[in-house]
Amino acid sequence: MRQTIRVERLLRESVETQYSDLVTRSTGRLVRTSIQQALAAGEGPVALLDFSDVGLVDLSCADEIIAKLLLDPPGQTYLILQGLREEQLEAIEHVLEHHDLAALVCDPAGGARPVGRLSPDLRTAFFTLQSLGAATVQVFGEQVGWTAARAAEVLDTLVRMRLVRFEGPHYLAPLT
Amino acid sequence: MSRVVEVPTWFDDRSFEQFAHSFSQGALTDRMLFDARAAQWASPFGLIAILTAAQAVREAGGPAPVFTVPTAEDVRRYWAKAGFFQHAAGLVEVHGRVPRIKPDEHSDVLLDVTPVRASEDVHAVVGKIQQVAARILHGELGLEAKATMGFAMALSEACQNIVEHAGTSGWVAVHAYTFRKRLGRRVVVIAVSDAGVGFRRSLDATQARRFGERWGDGAALEAAVIQNVSRFRDPGRGQGIAGIKRYLSRWAGKLSIRSGTARIAIVPPWDDDEPMTEHLAPFPGAQVQIVIPAQEGHGG
Repeated sequence: MRQTIRVERLLRESVETQYSDLVTRSTGRLVRTSIQQALAAGEGPVALLDFSDVGLVDLSCADEIIAKLLLDPPGQTYLILQGLREEQLEAIEHVLEHHDLAALVCDPAGGARPVGRLSPDLRTAFFTLQSLGAATVQVFGEQVGWTAARAAEVLDTLVRMRLVRFEGPHYLAPLT
Repeated sequence: MSRVVEVPTWFDDRSFEQFAHSFSQGALTDRMLFDARAAQWASPFGLIAILTAAQAVREAGGPAPVFTVPTAEDVRRYWAKAGFFQHAAGLVEVHGRVPRIKPDEHSDVLLDVTPVRASEDVHAVVGKIQQVAARILHGELGLEAKATMGFAMALSEACQNIVEHAGTSGWVAVHAYTFRKRLGRRVVVIAVSDAGVGFRRSLDATQARRFGERWGDGAALEAAVIQNVSRFRDPGRGQGIAGIKRYLSRWAGKLSIRSGTARIAIVPPWDDDEPMTEHLAPFPGAQVQIVIPAQEGHGG
């Protein structure tokens, strides 16, 4: 089950503005609080933060919303960003790299892709797992040609980064 | 007897130093006359510098300076169109005839003089600028269409420095004009100024010890602009100026920030400014200027 949170609607509910831009730290704090409340009230392991109809996203606001949500994850929910335009994504990636973080973004093919700071091993592992749907360490390791120890270490790192779910004994990409 | 502070004939970020020197020759509570009669032109930086000086006088409890308007009718009209007189009226005693001008959405004034007091003002500034910035940046300066968003982001972050750090309100203005001497091309200039605490006082508590004897206005600017340091311990802070620098590096833009007695600049290849200048005349708060030039082959 997936919850979709329309960020533009929360912006309009949080701030009195005729514009749809996510700018300033104080706006970011208000919108983040609204997102946290929506997540607390929602159900399911995956929440899509939908940026459709949002205008400009500045770095300060992106830091308050995206970075702080990722640094203090909301319960067991996995966050995925969707509806981002190129310039908005660029601002968010800047913030993610500043904090050494990564996030998932919906891609047009229906899956997700990680953005931000991620090593080549972690990136390979994510896409491999997403193509498999769900896999144990053994199946995953055989697929990528890694030892079980290396495969487990990489998958566990992805779980800690909340880019991959673990439902023992399977690892799953959130959108599978 | 009033102390005369001359407004430079051509008032931009360079001639600002004459203005700051003249302004600093006595106490903020002196009776002052800002003499702009000889003024021929002012950049957005110059216009909001006058307002910042007047605001500092007001916040120090000094008498409202007398302001004599430019003698030249076309200069008065441009300053009126830029929204200068509308805000000056609350800070200085205006002497001279001020034309009533309606804003012209196709003029070179992309954003007239606008006060920045709170987050809501930044929302309004960013919302307003996007409507006109695309026309100038893409149409006249030859930047890619996506540059508009980055421009609005840079403007937003520059304005937020006032809200987050100045401890008082400030001003922003954005104009397009031709840099004849230095560049020979069209530019868009963002100017942001406040009469607040300035970079050194803002960073005193967290950075003074680290810099030791070197600590001063120049070191504070170096910490904020080069090292992306903020007064907040939140590790997410300090990204605003870093984001502005990144945007400017993409479009050969220039950033300069003056605070207290120092000035720092991120200098593009087309300019010959000093990266750091210290021991300048003291001036309240912080003054930021961002220059985006037309790409080569455009807007000459």
